[in-house]
Amino acid sequence: MNDRLLKTTNPGGSPLINERLFKSIGKPLQRKEDQRLITGKGRFTDDFSMADQTWAWMVRSPYPHARIVHIDKTAALAMPGVLAVLTGADCMQDGLNAIQHSPVPSTQYDVKLRGPGDTPVFTGQHYLLPVDKARFVGEAIAMVVAETRDQASAAAEAVEVQYEELPWVFDSREAAKPDAPRVWEDIPGNVLVDATFGDIEGTEKAFAAAAHVVTFKSHVGRVTGVGLEPRAALGHYDADGDAYTLYAGSGGAVRQKRELADVLGVDQKKIRVLSFDVGGNFGTRNRLYVEAGLVLWSSKKVGRPVKFRAERSESFLTDYQGRDLVTDVSLAIDRDGKFLAMRAHNLSNVGSVLVSLSPLGKGSGLITGSYDIPLATLRAQAVFTNTMATQAYRSSGRPEVTFAIERLIDRAALQIGMDRVELRRRNLVKPDQMPYMNAVGSTYDSGEYEINMDALLELGDFAGAEARRAEAQSRGKLLGIGFCNYVESSIGTPKERVDLIVHADSVEVVIGTQPAGQGHETSFAQVAADVLNVPFEQVFIIMGDTDVVSAGGGTHSGRSMRHASTIIVLAAEELVMQGRKIAAHVFDVAVDQLAYDDGVFRCLYDNRAWTWFELAAKAAAAKLPPELAAGLRVRFDNEMHTPVFPNGSCMCEIEIDPETGSLEIKRYATIDDVGRCINPLIVHGQAHGAIAQGVGQAMWEGCHIDPATGQPLVGSLMDYGMPRFDNLPSFKNEIAEVLSPTNPFGVKAGGEGGTTGALAVIMSAVEDALLPICGVIEMEMPATPLKVWTAIQEGRKRQREKSPARTDARPEVTA
Amino acid sequence: MNPITYLRPGSVDEATRLRADFEEAKYLSGGHTLLPSMKQGLARPSHLIDLTAIPGLRGIAVEAGDAALTIGAATRHVEVASSADVLRVVPALAGLAGSIGDRQVRNRGTIGGSVANNDPSADYPAGLLGLGATVVTNQREIPADEYFVGLFDTALEPGEVIVRVRLPVPLAAGYAKFRSAASRYSVVGVFVVRTPQGVRVAVTGAGEGGVFRATALEAALSANFSAEALAGLSIDSGALLRDMNATPEYRANLIMVMARHAVNNMGRVSMYK
Ligand SMILES: Cc1cc2nc3c(=O)[nH]c(=O)nc-3n(C[C@H](O)[C@H](O)[C@H](O)COP(=O)(O)OP(=O)(O)OC[C@H]3O[C@@H](n4cnc5c(N)ncnc54)[C@H](O)[C@@H]3O)c2cc1C
Repeated sequence: MNDRLLKTTNPGGSPLINERLFKSIGKPLQRKEDQRLITGKGRFTDDFSMADQTWAWMVRSPYPHARIVHIDKTAALAMPGVLAVLTGADCMQDGLNAIQHSPVPSTQYDVKLRGPGDTPVFTGQHYLLPVDKARFVGEAIAMVVAETRDQASAAAEAVEVQYEELPWVFDSREAAKPDAPRVWEDIPGNVLVDATFGDIEGTEKAFAAAAHVVTFKSHVGRVTGVGLEPRAALGHYDADGDAYTLYAGSGGAVRQKRELADVLGVDQKKIRVLSFDVGGNFGTRNRLYVEAGLVLWSSKKVGRPVKFRAERSESFLTDYQGRDLVTDVSLAIDRDGKFLAMRAHNLSNVGSVLVSLSPLGKGSGLITGSYDIPLATLRAQAVFTNTMATQAYRSSGRPEVTFAIERLIDRAALQIGMDRVELRRRNLVKPDQMPYMNAVGSTYDSGEYEINMDALLELGDFAGAEARRAEAQSRGKLLGIGFCNYVESSIGTPKERVDLIVHADSVEVVIGTQPAGQGHETSFAQVAADVLNVPFEQVFIIMGDTDVVSAGGGTHSGRSMRHASTIIVLAAEELVMQGRKIAAHVFDVAVDQLAYDDGVFRCLYDNRAWTWFELAAKAAAAKLPPELAAGLRVRFDNEMHTPVFPNGSCMCEIEIDPETGSLEIKRYATIDDVGRCINPLIVHGQAHGAIAQGVGQAMWEGCHIDPATGQPLVGSLMDYGMPRFDNLPSFKNEIAEVLSPTNPFGVKAGGEGGTTGALAVIMSAVEDALLPICGVIEMEMPATPLKVWTAIQEGRKRQREKSPARTDARPEVTA
Repeated sequence: MNPITYLRPGSVDEATRLRADFEEAKYLSGGHTLLPSMKQGLARPSHLIDLTAIPGLRGIAVEAGDAALTIGAATRHVEVASSADVLRVVPALAGLAGSIGDRQVRNRGTIGGSVANNDPSADYPAGLLGLGATVVTNQREIPADEYFVGLFDTALEPGEVIVRVRLPVPLAAGYAKFRSAASRYSVVGVFVVRTPQGVRVAVTGAGEGGVFRATALEAALSANFSAEALAGLSIDSGALLRDMNATPEYRANLIMVMARHAVNNMGRVSMYK
């Protein structure tokens, strides 16, 4: 077993990486998994059923905040088919532990988030069912197990929960006030993180001396993942083996196994978790859900398998949600437009219990964006509220801070009267500054930001934008041109494990990542095929069953391609050594008489040569000595800590109808530096989906809460606006491959960049379109027709009040 | 979900008898309003009386001389949208039916179900009120002006069955709607109809009491049927709905804008979002 710590490997440094011989890497190969998925042969959680299985239904809190006074199970237990009614008190009695989410990012590359006064972060206790209080609408308070799903649901209505309603708070700014209702009695106030970073004194001085100071404030609201497959869990306790089995699609079965073992207080060996095809994750499934623990625990109690499947309305209420950051940023700029210093205050809403600080933490390290800003200070805060917990959501934390810095720079350009592209150009981090450490301590690995920006301006025909604006104006429409740069970080769990196994007709790669549509079965096979020089078609990727996949970090934070390509090539190097030993044995020559080149083992003194598959066949037939008995099989563990920084630029054009406020995206172009691109078809697909997901938040999506009642207003697709194909233009995307020096192939990440810039670029375009009427706008996303129309009315009113004479740079259009 | 008995009567009489027999029974047509509300626990019928197998409840006919269209209550949206007769005599009504929901909804949902339900954002109520239709039930004929009573409320008596609707063929009609990004229902829909007696303008999606006629617009357009005639007019936002999609003021504005689009696009449906 090898435990190499990769710090700075040269791209191409491995003898097995030979670009000239690549047959698969870099090619837009069709996805291996698609045939299965589009012919209904996917294996999603609800596709699994067990003989004699029973069904679970949750009794959920109708209140945002309420004390649980009493739960009467009697009526429910008397209902037909009911096997059990379980509550938080039962969990306590059985000694179940709270879920240990490990919510505080802890690698050496993460900023150190601490509680107020440098205390440890208070996380709350995430029990499977609470004993004391309901802390958000939809929280599971009790669970019914019955013979059928309908019976369970009917009986759930008969569970009588006596609540005592408590004052509630859902807005993070309100929650941070000293007299706000307390979500957890254990800590004074709801503030669980309050940490300040950077050079405070230096920043203050720079601000004092600056020619210009520009500020921007906004709230990046709450969204949810809306996976096509509602979450589900099937749990089985086998009394004979005293072992638990869970079928539950997630972002990584190994993590779920570990955390479930903690919750149930049993050895990890007693738990098997299976997660095959996953119908949408985006981060929502990367943390353990209470229902996963509940089906296992209740299965032991009722002696039969227990299945849970969420309704769409339950998913809206209780899938881990995303974003929800209040940001207040300012920038000090000198006379020539050079950025001197930045100040940021970010307030994250973690919901009712702490599941992850990744959004706050990830964003904290990137507040200065793609720019060389020598000084910065950041105050990072997080608060509890009476809402569903938030979790890392596609590009965790980065769209928020990209939004802040990029909107701030747009404002700066307006305020100091400089072209927004030129202002950015003067401040971008330059290639010769790489690796570049930003003012809050993140070290960017590589990137050619200005080259990318210019390529994007070309791709999107930025030069022609004013002509298109004039044309729109002639039709009575307002055209807005949005622009932004972005940089993001990909860190993720540092450990990964692979088993590489060569059979006589195939190669198996067993690995602990967990795709939800990212195409690992294809792109990982491309890597394995090229490093071993075997046909792509004969490589198979095995994932998702913890009895087969013994370790692994799952899929999040853009880690999978980078970790997989690295560990596959490292494992392949060991496999070659193993292959040479086996070949030497089988053909009875000394190991140094054997050469390996490009997939062929050759005997140096005669003409004998064998491919991997020939050698595997011969090895299977031969009697190998004990030290080689495993055959052509290696297990490799790797740890890789150094983050990479995917980056890029985007522009879009939005046409607004001033009469209705309706918005139409006419043009959307991106350049994404993903490092080495293993499969451009997949990377483009990821870019398209990622853009749609970011645009969705900017234009349609929002988990709105009624300020009068604390009730979520969004419980179905009737209220939650999803991105749809007819609301999006055909994208112009290009991939830039600036190889990262941190890993053998130079991979960065390609799944999140599209989302990272989308919020900023859309709102940049909306503001640009409305500028002649409204000036700068204080509009929170989503930018709906209602908000746009209302802003136009207010802008016109202000204009009328101010002066009848117009002072705008651009004339307002008339219909 | 409680057990439900499914019944499939062969005549309207049998249907009404069954309805009288079981207090908690409900008529079922396309099911695209009723079934979702049952799944959410908002409706809990003991019996479902499926009307769609009753002969005569389905189909589209044009009266002699193209005076009127009759559409059976159980006629599906897709049938209205693609009917050569409807496309010939009131193309905007075919367009309206084709603008409802999505393909799946149009393949199941029916005009009778929509009109019986009278959702404040539904499209057919605007079509019926605009065209001055008559709702024909097993008991009587109800003019559209008296039929749509309020939010999800109609002049139907308990147990009364819509058999068909009769729609006088106008000189021309046009429908413009502004759709919600999420549900794609109308935030505001305006159905404008020219008849020899004058212009009728029906507004859906906007009113606190459901579909209504915009009489000021009707008067202006009756005097001068052109978009210019609408200039300077406005809608009082006092009785308009407020929700996540729109404020009353925004709806008032959308009514004027959609009315103009309808007038400029007679003979079809124009959609905005
Ligand atoms: C996803 C989705 C999107 C939709 N989008 C739109 C849209 O954009 N615009 C729009 O207008 N509608 C929309 N609808 C509603 C759709 O048009 C429904 O089909 C329609 O409102 C109800 O018709 P139905 O035949 O399905 O009625 P059902 O659901 O079968 O019945 C509805 C009600 O009417 C009663 N009823 C049915 N028939 C009769 C009758 N003949 N006499 C007396 N009572 C009767 C039933 O008892 C029930 O109470 C949408 C529905 C869905 C599910």
